[in-house]
Amino acid sequence: MSSRRSRISEEEINELVSKLQSLLPEARRRGNNRASATKLLKETCSYIKSLHREVDDLSDRLSDLMAGMDNDSAQAEIIRSLLQS
Amino acid sequence: MVISNLEGEIASKEGERKRKRKGEVRPSQSKWRLDSEQKTYSSKLLEALRCVRAGAPAEPSRTRAVREAANRALAMAARGQTRWSRAILSSRTLKLTAAKRRRAAASRLKRSGGASQEKKRPPAIQRKARVLGKLVPGCRQLSFPKLLEETSDYIAALEMQVRAMSALSEILSSIGSGSGAPPPA
Repeated sequence: MSSRRSRISEEEINELVSKLQSLLPEARRRGNNRASATKLLKETCSYIKSLHREVDDLSDRLSDLMAGMDNDSAQAEIIRSLLQS
Repeated sequence: MVISNLEGEIASKEGERKRKRKGEVRPSQSKWRLDSEQKTYSSKLLEALRCVRAGAPAEPSRTRAVREAANRALAMAARGQTRWSRAILSSRTLKLTAAKRRRAAASRLKRSGGASQEKKRPPAIQRKARVLGKLVPGCRQLSFPKLLEETSDYIAALEMQVRAMSALSEILSSIGSGSGAPPPA
């Protein structure tokens, strides 16, 4: 169904991509000027990649920190209550 | 049949909830900004991390296990409403890595084989859209509008994941530095 390359008009593409623009931090700084669809797609890709990298770094950090964690539930309760604040 | 007022209220609230769910075709991505959502996710993540700690001793595999636990918990928070979340939950790691290697090998062959003289390359937008489809899980074959919808939700979810994991690592590092749990009596 989706393998058929249906011609979406360029206007439709631009409209959809400008909706995406509000999500990108770079684009928000630019003040919502009409950037080209290609540019926005490229920014979206790099933004997702940078988010993936952040998650990787954080996973690394958490895996180190976990080594120091006791496996008792009392400590888990403390952590959980700190998370809720 | 006499239905008490309370029962009637409950019944109508249920109906409202069901109606709302049926009407909501698009997943609401603003939920990822909610504090409550992040807190729920953080708790689930903490639980998952404790399981990982029990299971994976070695260093490099523990990072991977942490990342997978974080991604699975994130996908579950989406409650099956998005394609990327369903794709994360239904993929098994070993299969995924093997499939990635196969695809990398295949694309390397393609690139070295094709001559770049003819302008057979698809337009820039299509190329970029394909890259995007590879980045968002389970979205390779999606139509452009659907892909952008999934992307929006995925980005919002990833941002929440980063916020939650950062907060958790802050807490864990401050506990680790000695100001933690009181000594046993």
